[in-house]
Amino acid sequence: MEKNNTPKGFPAFHVEIIPPKQDSVKLEDDLTLFAAKFERVMASGFTASITDNAMGLLAFQGHECIEELGLKARPGQVLIHLNTFHTKETLEEILTACQRLGIFSVLAISGDGSPRLPKLKPAEMEAEETEAVTSVELIRYIRRHYPLFTVGAAFNPYEPEKHEFEKLDRKLEAGAAFVITQPIIEKNSVVDRLLQDYPELPVTVEAWMSKKLYLLSDVVGYPIPEDAVFDPIDTLRRLRDIYPLCGTYLSLLGFKTQYELIEAMSPERREAR
Amino acid sequence: MKIQSEQEKSSYKNVWTVAEVANGAVHPVSYELIGAARRLADARGSQVWTVALGCGHTGEAGSLFAYGADKVILVDDSRLEAFNDELECNILQRLTIRYRPEILLCAATSRGRALIPRLAGKLHAGLTADCTGLAIDPGNGDLLQTRPAFGGNIMATIRSSEYRPQMATVRPKVMSAPEPLPGRTGEIIRETVEPGDVFKVKEILQSVRQNGSAVSLGDARIIVAGGRAMKGPEGFVLLERFASLVGGAVGASRAAVDNGWISYPHQVGQTGATVQTDVYIACGISGQIQHLIGMQSCKTIIAIDVDDTTPMMKLADIAVKGDLFEIIPAVIKEIETVKSKQEKA
Amino acid sequence: MKIVVCVKQVPATADARIDPETKRIIREGTKAVLNPFDLYAVEEAVRIRERAGGEVIALSMGPENAKNSLIEALSMGADRAVLLCDRAFGGSDTWATGYALSKAIEALGGADLIICGKQAVDGDTAQVGPGIAARLDIMQAANVSKVEDVDPGHIRVCRSNEYGYDLLRLRLPALITVLKDINIPRIPTLKNARKARQADIAVWTPSDIGADPGLIGLNASPTRVVKTEPPALRDSVTLHIDGGEPEKAAAALAGELFGRGLL
Repeated sequence: MEKNNTPKGFPAFHVEIIPPKQDSVKLEDDLTLFAAKFERVMASGFTASITDNAMGLLAFQGHECIEELGLKARPGQVLIHLNTFHTKETLEEILTACQRLGIFSVLAISGDGSPRLPKLKPAEMEAEETEAVTSVELIRYIRRHYPLFTVGAAFNPYEPEKHEFEKLDRKLEAGAAFVITQPIIEKNSVVDRLLQDYPELPVTVEAWMSKKLYLLSDVVGYPIPEDAVFDPIDTLRRLRDIYPLCGTYLSLLGFKTQYELIEAMSPERREAR
Repeated sequence: MKIQSEQEKSSYKNVWTVAEVANGAVHPVSYELIGAARRLADARGSQVWTVALGCGHTGEAGSLFAYGADKVILVDDSRLEAFNDELECNILQRLTIRYRPEILLCAATSRGRALIPRLAGKLHAGLTADCTGLAIDPGNGDLLQTRPAFGGNIMATIRSSEYRPQMATVRPKVMSAPEPLPGRTGEIIRETVEPGDVFKVKEILQSVRQNGSAVSLGDARIIVAGGRAMKGPEGFVLLERFASLVGGAVGASRAAVDNGWISYPHQVGQTGATVQTDVYIACGISGQIQHLIGMQSCKTIIAIDVDDTTPMMKLADIAVKGDLFEIIPAVIKEIETVKSKQEKA
Repeated sequence: MKIVVCVKQVPATADARIDPETKRIIREGTKAVLNPFDLYAVEEAVRIRERAGGEVIALSMGPENAKNSLIEALSMGADRAVLLCDRAFGGSDTWATGYALSKAIEALGGADLIICGKQAVDGDTAQVGPGIAARLDIMQAANVSKVEDVDPGHIRVCRSNEYGYDLLRLRLPALITVLKDINIPRIPTLKNARKARQADIAVWTPSDIGADPGLIGLNASPTRVVKTEPPALRDSVTLHIDGGEPEKAAAALAGELFGRGLL
């Protein structure tokens, strides 16, 4: 690899970890599992990418789990997702806690709402001129008030292309320093254009690690048959070949069945050994 | 009150309505209730009595007779100017114990929905909220009350055979008001606030009217309504534009309101407003039954949605299948074009 | 300040579906959640306690698994919780529910303030709050959008209505039902959620609350559901317009609207 567009100290594998749900009836078990996953990701030298009420389903926050369970966030190895469905107080609390825990990477996304989740207001983000707070306002706010943080943004290659690139420019202008795409399962022309037009921008592509490919139907915008055969590991290998300069974000990774295969694939892990 | 014998049961007579009086004027829902009560009373061979609690509304009694009341119990007192749960409940409790109505109907307004359950609690009477149908069982004379249950997915018929009075609330516009008969009169029974009525009653420090903040879905000729598929508050900005172009009001499904995209006064359906407009344009509303029963009496229903298998798309007179965020702007543009041509011509 | 907040576990509405063939409610797999309006009641109770001191007791009636809703109330900051759970309570309508909850509040030694959500989303009746106030013979205010202040003897609240709002002063003990405008319910912290799951939730039977056996459950419920049927919906012939080409579809729709004299 002559050139790696992943910045230093930014390991190429992001492993998504979803914190326990608020309505969990076996919370302690879920927390134990969270801790085990987190520690394993830390030990591998990967980045633990911790979601924020994914799909609008109420869950505990990543920083709470880390703090409450006494886990250790290794420098540069934790990425906290942060969406626009919070009160201002909660937002500040999360960012302050991250600083306390030595976590300085956040992925700022618009996110999914639910009746239970409050939404940040434009005035709270010092963006009175906008109708509603999106990731752009959130990125700008974090950069303005928490300059130590590196803020990432999402990139969706399935949205109308022109629109998505315009949005990307606004996110970058607001201070986004890296992007993570929606899941792709093959060479994607929009991602190709992204890499070509933004050569300095660190890009991480999301790989779908579940065998249930049809769950992606809503993301890609067309129906995928329920019986579609899909080999996640094989697809991941191919994506790594197609996009050697990109990091890879692993969603729905099976810790029991897939983790060792991922570790074996990883340059960081080999170096760590 | 639990009924111990047939003799006791037959001592309860007549159908009562509680008039909705606000700021000295009778609210139209009061006439809708009288219309429903008239049908029930005729089926029972009994009378319609309307209780009108308020202040400065004595002159309104005539209209209550015109719509079908046989007797009006009037309590005109300055302490009844604003709604006071305890005071009105105490008066009604006293009157119902004295006169023993068989049936008592009240509007399911914010006042009725607070007052009547308190009264039912005191009297140990059966109460059915938000009825969409009221009838008399021809067999035993019981009141059959129909209301949507389980989020409006099913209609339940409810009765309270062993208790009197049988009490029900009805939302505004669910029943239609009868044609008034000017000159029809009846007996006015004047009652007063008694000393016992004002015991343990709250203080009303101030009543504030906020004109303009009210969304008048009821007065609109056209409603442009949005649901879950409008995706967010931005979607409703688009619908505002659409609505203002056609001179309509913006409505919403419960899902959109629950998500905080638009405020509750815009909600149409069983738990919001019931509407009967000339045109109802449903944008991205799948059509949960609780929504449909609030708007299916509109004259022309137009549905726009990406999924044409939804109940709303099936119910509609005109169903447009496609991407809401492409269709709606295109429709707005088209209507603007037609209108500007019409203005020129 | 001793505050009792009454909560109910309800089916998650989005999941309530009808079997198209049998026309019956599909109850299997329907998730149960804390009634959404009750979140606002719990939040308001906790906020008042945070200002005025005292205790918040969450009270519910329902099956054993209604404990989950009480756990949620505890996670949000209620100090303790009581569940009325017994077969004898089964089949209660709103009257019998109001009676049982009022007896439970008496068994708790009474309360200065009782807070309920505006209504439960499964029945949408809004009757239980005023029913409790009636049984306890205390003042009530439904549809409260703001609590102005609370002192040891009184509470001042704004009550919304169709025309605006009223500012009311109620003597304590009193009962209020709250709207969603009143606050933004907090999301429980992990620390509180863990503590709540360890809490001992009291489970009470009719004898624990000194209830008259003749006034609880189905037998004391004045209302009976005698029939259920699918709602009658309007039957119309639908004109379909394909929106594959938005401009064409828009022209067709506008043509219909103007052609039928609707615009």
